[in-house]
Amino acid sequence: MVIIYFIELIVVGILAGFAGSLSGLGGGVVVIPLLTILFGVPIDYAAGASLVSTIATSSGAASAYVKERLSNIRIGMSLEVATTLGAIGGSIIAAYIYSKNLDQLIFIIFGVVLLFLLYPTFKGFREKHERRMHKDWSTKFFQLEGNYYDRSTNKRVYYSGYRWWFGEGVMGIAGIISGLLGIGSGTLKVIGMDWGMKLPMKVTTSTSNFMIGVTAATSSAIYWALGYVQPFIAAPIVIGILIGSYYGSKMLQTMAGKRIRLIFLMLLLVAGLEMILRGFGVA
Amino acid sequence: MEMNDIISYGLRIGVIISFLLLALGSVLLFINGGGGGYTIKQLSMTNSSINSSQFSINGIMHGIDMLDGMDIIMLGLIVLVATPIVRVLLSIVAFVVERNPLYTIITIIVLTDLMIAIFIIPKLIIH
Repeated sequence: MVIIYFIELIVVGILAGFAGSLSGLGGGVVVIPLLTILFGVPIDYAAGASLVSTIATSSGAASAYVKERLSNIRIGMSLEVATTLGAIGGSIIAAYIYSKNLDQLIFIIFGVVLLFLLYPTFKGFREKHERRMHKDWSTKFFQLEGNYYDRSTNKRVYYSGYRWWFGEGVMGIAGIISGLLGIGSGTLKVIGMDWGMKLPMKVTTSTSNFMIGVTAATSSAIYWALGYVQPFIAAPIVIGILIGSYYGSKMLQTMAGKRIRLIFLMLLLVAGLEMILRGFGVA
Repeated sequence: MEMNDIISYGLRIGVIISFLLLALGSVLLFINGGGGGYTIKQLSMTNSSINSSQFSINGIMHGIDMLDGMDIIMLGLIVLVATPIVRVLLSIVAFVVERNPLYTIITIIVLTDLMIAIFIIPKLIIH
């Protein structure tokens, strides 16, 4: 029954959106293994559906962040120069791989990237209570400063970041991975801004959320023309992921949410290994 | 309201419109038993070769009048992809208003990358 299949795809989207926002990895990273391993969907169609749903979660969450003025549009935009170029490069590499029927290669790269992302996600990104006023020439030139109101301490936090070139480099890689695999690469973007540019975590996560949409739109345009967006798969997945990530973000704060998060990370470990095995033709 | 607030609420409205179009298109797809000239069975095949490369903006707009589920889904997906692009466009306006020349230029570069991805790269790859 076609309608059952359609509803199953919505459920997959809900699960992926829920797991993606609880684990902090994003819905795309979860939906691709689910679609390919459980439903036998070709990986280019799975990646296409993932990319467009990444835009949905990014744009949908943007207004929640803006109320608190957490995301820094200047910093985000300056880094988008590298993510969009990377996304173009990554999409071209993906197009080449698919045209040579080397889909297995995408499975292997996806599995490896997923395993690499799990460790920082498992450790969690926490606000380090150090003074965040690092400065260098790029701080001044690129205006890498801002402030936001921290509701937990009732204080206005002033911050600045540095090593713009470092962030830009990490963003280039994040863009390539995003275009190659059809994911948002939010984790890498957070690493670049947190570890590279020493920006506060709250600013980092919300700015990364803003950037994901622009990066994914770049790759989506190329994926669209190449025919990787299959409407019958993409529509239920976007619908599901929007619903799932809405509830996932609500549950994030609760204790039960923290325990479920661990379970999801374990399952993603299995998914990553499964993708690699699938890529080598073992599973 | 500040410019950035307007932009962010605009984004959310874009996502809601897209969500509604996708839902409406899906319902129509099942009511009509298909869309875009295909039966629902053809559309739902896992390896179906019916995908975005066959849908042009003109064709989609024509199908919308006929309440074609597939074209409405495609329009929903296009609205979705367009939301971040509109955001970049409006950010250029915001930086011009702020009189921030450096960031006006940076944002124009980002928009240029997007335009290259939309108009130039597909032609280079496919032909």
